[in-house]
Amino acid sequence: MSVLSIQHVNQFFGSGTARVHVLHDVNFDAKPGTLSLIIGPSGSGKSTFLTIAGGLLTPTDGDVLFDGQSYKDTSKKAREQLRLDSIGFILQAYHLLPYLTVADQFKLVDKVKKLHNLTPMELNELLNQLGIQDLINKFPNELSGGQQQRVAIARALYPDPKILLADEPTAALDTARVKVVGNLFQELAHTRNKAVVIVTHDIRLKEFADQIYELRDGTLTKQSTKVFV
Amino acid sequence: MFLALKEIRKEKLRSGLIISMIVLISYLIFILTSLALGLARENTDAIDSWGIQNITLDANANVDMRQSLLTAPQVGTLTDKEAYIGQASVVAKATGHERISSVFIGLDSHQFVAKKIKLTTGHMPQTNHEVVVDTSFQESGYQLGDTFKLNADNTNYKIVGFTKNAKMNVAPVIYGQLSTWSSLKGTSSSTIASAIVSKNINYRTSSHALKTYSISKFINKMPGYQAQNLTFGLMIGFLMGISLIVIAVFLYILTMQKLPNYAVLRAQGIPSKILVGATVSQSLILVLSGLVISSILTIITAISMPSAVPMAFDIPILIVVGVGLMIMSLIGGLIPVRSVLRVDPISVIGG
Ligand SMILES: Nc1ncnc2c1ncn2[C@@H]1O[C@H](COP(=O)(O)OP(=O)(O)OP(=O)(O)O)[C@@H](O)[C@H]1O
Ligand SMILES: [Mg+2]
Repeated sequence: MSVLSIQHVNQFFGSGTARVHVLHDVNFDAKPGTLSLIIGPSGSGKSTFLTIAGGLLTPTDGDVLFDGQSYKDTSKKAREQLRLDSIGFILQAYHLLPYLTVADQFKLVDKVKKLHNLTPMELNELLNQLGIQDLINKFPNELSGGQQQRVAIARALYPDPKILLADEPTAALDTARVKVVGNLFQELAHTRNKAVVIVTHDIRLKEFADQIYELRDGTLTKQSTKVFV
Repeated sequence: MFLALKEIRKEKLRSGLIISMIVLISYLIFILTSLALGLARENTDAIDSWGIQNITLDANANVDMRQSLLTAPQVGTLTDKEAYIGQASVVAKATGHERISSVFIGLDSHQFVAKKIKLTTGHMPQTNHEVVVDTSFQESGYQLGDTFKLNADNTNYKIVGFTKNAKMNVAPVIYGQLSTWSSLKGTSSSTIASAIVSKNINYRTSSHALKTYSISKFINKMPGYQAQNLTFGLMIGFLMGISLIVIAVFLYILTMQKLPNYAVLRAQGIPSKILVGATVSQSLILVLSGLVISSILTIITAISMPSAVPMAFDIPILIVVGVGLMIMSLIGGLIPVRSVLRVDPISVIGG
């Protein structure tokens, strides 16, 4: 069963002659244990797709189900709670609060969501894996773009979400780091049974994906499905 | 609270600037309040020390004791709750001393007002050449036993006592006997005083030529008193208003810069009440620290200010002013909360 199911979603922005059709009848399912990669050029609607998937934006048309329940039947507050508990967002920019150290970014989550976050040991392991364990007392402005991005990934994983929605998570990373992050996402899907959805134009991530989609001018088409033995 | 404290710690310079601005504004307001209070008290200190409820003057004196003269038939009989006051404007002069414009108050030593005067040293006048003066005479170099002349009169008056905070119309008071007042004023034998004061709240004159006024009405009619208080009140009010605007603008700018970060937190499902809490507690922490520092500055000022400067540091009044500033800045801090509540998580998605 899908964690996230996007059904016949159409999204328009603007009105009158300025009306643009950004997503065309998009259908998509994110299953636990699967890494889905959505590849598309700039302006193709990737971020719009993620906003709708995360329940931040209600699509003009169509339905989005999380764990079988439509966002339409969920209150704003409940969707907010869902994002706190079950959805890990990795955003394209501004991921980290500038006045919190890396350690405090996690502490903030503890303040708001008291239960079921990663244990200190699990967090440590995750930071090690991402190669940022030594940066724990640094502020975001003391980190490189790639380091910030990895902290943001750790921050999104910290509440132990069911699904991970990542917007260009590898934009600032070199090929070696892309491998590390790709492996991490793959492992999250395969060994921890998370549904991982990545939207990107970075084709270097293709080798880690179980399902690859292409988003072009708002139309989503399935490219291939790897079969795992 | 967590976010607010962390942010203040990281942004030391920015927070320091805002705090020092609040310190300056509130210090200015505290000092102005104390000055206003000090000046107001120099108008009324002597009257306050008498413990009276009302004052009876000539009905045509326009509520001004200096213009009032009462005759014995007008006054009639008095109880022990009433007392005569004879007021005269005088200039005290003595060789080797600067002239001091003063208010002469003649008292009947058997009546309650004379008994109410508290001396720091010496005794009340026993002859009509003896006087008790405000301690500001001491600061001008006069000592117990010194003499001075009043106006063009050639009589030497001897200082037999000092009393603190004896001020009226922003001038020091010289207390003497009622008979001394009569001779200073050069009045006819039928006039006995400038005013009747009473500690009986129900006392009313029975004479049509006289009128009894409540003490607050009398004080408000003192020359310059209301204008002075109004001026200071307006200044303090404007400063409060300005501080509201300044604090609001600063907090607004601070918050606006954080909105993209807040949008991310909202997208991550952090409840907006956490963010509103951070904004409000940040304003509170900044304003409170500013107020604490300026209170310390005010205390230091109060200790080191020479007594010639008419300043009165009244703690309850200063607390009220501080709370007023606190409320002003809370209002200022609430304006950006609206923007925090409205922050749209979608705005940060997309890059
Ligand atoms: N709120 C909006 N109002 C109007 N048009 C919008 C809005 N949001 C997005 N669009 C338009 O929708 C299209 C898709 O935008 P989107 O941000 O989803 O692209 P993207 O694939 O994430 O691009 P990039 O790779 O540059 O991040 C763009 O043409 C954009 O101009
Ligand atoms: Mg985008």
